[in-house]
Amino acid sequence: MGLAYPTGAATVSLAVVGLYLLFHGEGETFNVGDFLETVSPYTWATIGIAMCIGLSVVGAACVVSRGILLTGSSIIGGGVKAPRVQTKNLISIIFCEVVAIYGVIMAIIFSSKINFVEGEAIYSGSNFYTGYAVFWGGITVGFCNLICGVSVGINGSGAALADAADPSLFVKILVVEIFSSVLGLFGLIIGLLVAGKANDFE
Amino acid sequence: MSGAVGREAVFPTRQSLGLMKSKLKGAETGHSLLKRKSEALTKRFREITRRIDEAKRKMGRMMQIAAFSLAEVTYAVGGDIGYQVQESAKQARFRVQAKQDNVSGVLLPQFESVIATGSNDFGLTGLGKGGQQVQRCRETYSRAVETLVELASLQTAFVMLDEVIKVVNRRVNAIEHIIIPRTENTIKYINTELDELDREEFYRLKKVSNKKQRDSAAQDAEMLAKRQAEDNKENEPAKAVIDQPADILGQEDEDVIF
Amino acid sequence: MEGLFFNVNGGYIEGIVRGYRNNLLNGQHYANLTQCENIDGQFLLQTCELHASNTSEIVDVKLQLAPAYGDFLATLPPNPSTSALAAKTTDKLVSEFRYLQAQATGSLAKFMEYLTYGYMIDNVALLITGTLHERDTRELLERCHPLGWFETMPVLCVATNIEELYNSVLVETPLAPYFKGSLSHQDLDELNIEIVRNTLYKNYLEDFHHFVNTNPDFKGTPTQEIMSEILEFEADRRAINITLNSFGTELSKQDRRKLYPEFGKLYPEGSLMLSRADDVESVALAVSGVAEYKAFFDAVGLNQGGTEGLGNMGGGSSADGKSLEDLFYQREMELSKIVFTRQFTSAVVYAWVKLREQEIRNITWIAECIAQHQKERIGNYISVF
Repeated sequence: MGLAYPTGAATVSLAVVGLYLLFHGEGETFNVGDFLETVSPYTWATIGIAMCIGLSVVGAACVVSRGILLTGSSIIGGGVKAPRVQTKNLISIIFCEVVAIYGVIMAIIFSSKINFVEGEAIYSGSNFYTGYAVFWGGITVGFCNLICGVSVGINGSGAALADAADPSLFVKILVVEIFSSVLGLFGLIIGLLVAGKANDFE
Repeated sequence: MSGAVGREAVFPTRQSLGLMKSKLKGAETGHSLLKRKSEALTKRFREITRRIDEAKRKMGRMMQIAAFSLAEVTYAVGGDIGYQVQESAKQARFRVQAKQDNVSGVLLPQFESVIATGSNDFGLTGLGKGGQQVQRCRETYSRAVETLVELASLQTAFVMLDEVIKVVNRRVNAIEHIIIPRTENTIKYINTELDELDREEFYRLKKVSNKKQRDSAAQDAEMLAKRQAEDNKENEPAKAVIDQPADILGQEDEDVIF
Repeated sequence: MEGLFFNVNGGYIEGIVRGYRNNLLNGQHYANLTQCENIDGQFLLQTCELHASNTSEIVDVKLQLAPAYGDFLATLPPNPSTSALAAKTTDKLVSEFRYLQAQATGSLAKFMEYLTYGYMIDNVALLITGTLHERDTRELLERCHPLGWFETMPVLCVATNIEELYNSVLVETPLAPYFKGSLSHQDLDELNIEIVRNTLYKNYLEDFHHFVNTNPDFKGTPTQEIMSEILEFEADRRAINITLNSFGTELSKQDRRKLYPEFGKLYPEGSLMLSRADDVESVALAVSGVAEYKAFFDAVGLNQGGTEGLGNMGGGSSADGKSLEDLFYQREMELSKIVFTRQFTSAVVYAWVKLREQEIRNITWIAECIAQHQKERIGNYISVF
């Protein structure tokens, strides 16, 4: 809802620029193939790495470091009347921290693919492959971890409140929470597989 | 005992005897009347006591129910409605009328409760919630107040009757133990005095008559002697003897009082 | 989506409210309470544990309430009256609510403000009554419900006549929109205060309903869903109650109709039928379109059976017979209880306040029963936990 205006503004300005170019006889500027060929594989790879770590951290932060989001606030609130939930529910925080660690690991693996290549040699097929692989691998890992972080956060928030209400529920909800934290692992595996086949820049 | 009562200071005359006798009669009639009144009052008194007892028990129950219905109101409305009710009541709906009741000449006040119809000042209280309970509570309290009024009426009657019964009993006792014995004493006294007078009089009369007889006997003897002396001359003494006593009685009449 | 962002503002409060809700008395506590012999027993306060009461001999209400209300009851004098008990328990509710309010931000704060408007209406009605009868309104401030306290309330006491009061109410209080357009100052003078109160309440309910349905933070969230249901129920309940309670009073049908909130399950057909109803049967007919209300009326109808009908139903005519009012309360409590199955919603605050109010009523009721030795009716409290 809150994004309706920015989205609309962006669409309108893009359309205006596109139509401007089109009507001035420069329509061939929209050349996807040319765009993909001229963008450096370094760009793809570094954006991929950035997305990987960035989204993972945002996913985790939903739960941990922003504190007021999801689990943190629920744990604190629940902890007012039932102080025991505070220490117990740190486990939810740890689950989310793990998500960030996945992102860090993948970012390190991806960044090991990046080497300096002299001149035009970077525009080789192998390097394009590596660039795209790292880019999409990073996106995969990043979004998986983001969603994983959110789901662990919501679960953890519920776990904290449920635990405060009835201690016997904690283990049960913890199982559910583990399943949601596994989601991040799926992304990690796929990211590893995608990046595994790519060679280093050469 | 009756001696301690004493007697009235009257002259022991036949007139005062008559007076006393009528007084005694009056006292006895009054006594029986008062006794009856006292009994009637006591009967009434007992009845009132019984009814007070009943009313008090009833009041206990009613007040309990009423207090409880107030609790129900609090429960249903969820707050204090006292102020609101207090402010919206404009005129008394429940009024008390005083009447008088005559029990054996004693005027007892009686209170009657009258519920003014039509005025329902806080009929809308608790419109949103709890209105039924408010109305019910009001009815319960009206009934409780009715009981209170009844009780008040009985209590007043109780106090007044108590007073009256005390007075009546005192009177009965006074008549029974003071007035009647004293009057009787007086009558007795008058009687004895009168008897005494009678006896005196009788004795005096006897004395007089003895003297008269003696005198007449002496006269007779004198006359006889004279007669005999004369008889010897005229020969009729018997006739004179017969005439003489009647003559004496006729003469004595003036001296006798009755 | 509410799961992502609700906790930014409301997570802490929700956590606390749930904590408060866990402290509500449950069936076991109530069962213990009803066994009490008296209300006092401060000397035992120190020694009691949360559930120790199950084994030890149960003596009094205060002891039983100690785990939940210890701090607040500790200051009560020995042998407290039931009203003092109620006042103290209300104090606790108020202080907790105040704390939450202090923590609330954004739309949740607004939501909690809406919660207090209901009490404000009562307070303003009280002040209007006082002013109408030319009482010193300052004394009335003490009688006002603390939840309905607003900063500018003392200002209202300056008013000496009803016109001034009306103008200051319009300017100074959050209730101004509810007065505006539906009540003029002549109305305050002429209409029965109950009608004023119920008109305000109707406007308030409609506004609240509008608020939870249109506020961007609540739209499409569980809050909208739950609060709509609860508020619709509340609106229907008020409509039915007003109808039932207005029988035999001077309230005309047109006036009555104006007091019905214009939403809810009964609106519009049921409301129209309610506005034409003359007796309990026609009310029952009017609500028969909604299954749950129909069930209430059926249940009450079976219990009553007599000619007195629903008109005399206060508190249940017998120990086990529930009155319509009880059934409504029961339903409200169940709705409130269900709210706690949803997470990431402000409605928990509302539900908690309602549950808490009911708890206070229950405690007062039980204490009253004990104080008056009316043990046979002591089970009439409503407990949903």
